[in-house]
Amino acid sequence: MNFGRWVAIYGPTYLTALGWTAVTAVGAACGALIWGCALLLIRLSAGRWGARGVDAYVQLFRNTPVLLPIYLIYFAFPMIGLPWPAVVCGGLALILQNGAYISEILRGSVNAIDRVQFDAARSIGLAPWSTFRKVVLPQVLVYSIPALGNQTVLLLKDTSLLSAISITELTMQAKLLTEQTGAAYEAFIVVALLYLLLVSGTEVLFRVTHRAVRWR
Amino acid sequence: MPPGSLALLAQGAAVSLLLAAVAIVGGTLLAVLLAALAFSRFAVVRAAYRVYVYVVRGTPLLVLALLVFYAMPALDLRTGPYIAGTLVLIVYTGALLAEVFRGGVLAIPRPQWESARSLGLPPVPLFRKIVAPLVTRYTLPPYVNVCVMTVKASSVLSIISVWELTLAAREIIERTFAVFTILGLAAAFYFVMCFGIDRLGRLFERHLALKGFAGERA
Repeated sequence: MNFGRWVAIYGPTYLTALGWTAVTAVGAACGALIWGCALLLIRLSAGRWGARGVDAYVQLFRNTPVLLPIYLIYFAFPMIGLPWPAVVCGGLALILQNGAYISEILRGSVNAIDRVQFDAARSIGLAPWSTFRKVVLPQVLVYSIPALGNQTVLLLKDTSLLSAISITELTMQAKLLTEQTGAAYEAFIVVALLYLLLVSGTEVLFRVTHRAVRWR
Repeated sequence: MPPGSLALLAQGAAVSLLLAAVAIVGGTLLAVLLAALAFSRFAVVRAAYRVYVYVVRGTPLLVLALLVFYAMPALDLRTGPYIAGTLVLIVYTGALLAEVFRGGVLAIPRPQWESARSLGLPPVPLFRKIVAPLVTRYTLPPYVNVCVMTVKASSVLSIISVWELTLAAREIIERTFAVFTILGLAAAFYFVMCFGIDRLGRLFERHLALKGFAGERA
């Protein structure tokens, strides 16, 4: 079948799937950012053992594929009496892994803050928590925007793995269409183009944000 | 632990490592060619390089894998998931490594080019004596990162029914429901492979370091 005609017929069926990809990606990205900040806070404030625990966590998730936590949560949670929907399980797995990467990104940015600022914060009597929230975190987040953008693109692409736990996001939709229509490559070319569009959009969004909020 | 599962997982790990090794070797060769295209004198070739990298890096590996998996039989290439999976992994690793190598070439200090030119070095010795040794040293840490990513990415091929560590784990779980044990063991196998590659890379980095060379630790 001619590619243009194929898109005209089946194009609209992608819309719901596109919505699922967008929702899981945005939800997981927000969750991962919060979890990454929490891990950073633990690393900075919970003493040597806190830092070691975060290190071990980060190493574990950096050296294992995302599919494992996805399967773990999806298969194991119903067994321990938590029959959560697949989207929640998949999203949680993405949050756990990307949070590990994000905490490392943020840690790199903490080192870019001038030590003098910590002395200054202490000399005006800021408590440790206020120092973290009002001095460290805002700067760290702004410094990290480009790297966070890269991580968000990786997360967006990893949402395709949620098709393995039967979530009808873009990749699953393409698979279903291929099996229903027998069209060998049309479905996946459309999906690849949609991913390229989403990835480029994400990159532009982060670049614009960075330009808008960085200090000059 | 279900009997026999450890042996199955170990076999799966061996297949994963083999897939990754083939992809890394193939991807490195592909990446050297691609990086050469990135510095071509013709704008069309440079644009083709950028399109390749943009498309491969902007699409999930799973989508590429499924595309090739479904499209190859339609093109009358009945190759099965292993060939399709390996090819896709090479294409993917090649794109990532090409960007790594391109960055390495850009990092070569200007005086190196100028002195090479003033010596009148022809292209092949220039590559062999100047570009290759420097780029190897500059890019070793990101190169090792991509190798680790390739091991992890090979797990995606389980979805197009390439039997490796992740698919082995999934099959055992579907039979025995021993989710925590099996996934924990699979994670341990992946961890050993990835962490091992990382440590090997660091050893090699120390081995290659040139004492007293600018930018290297003395």
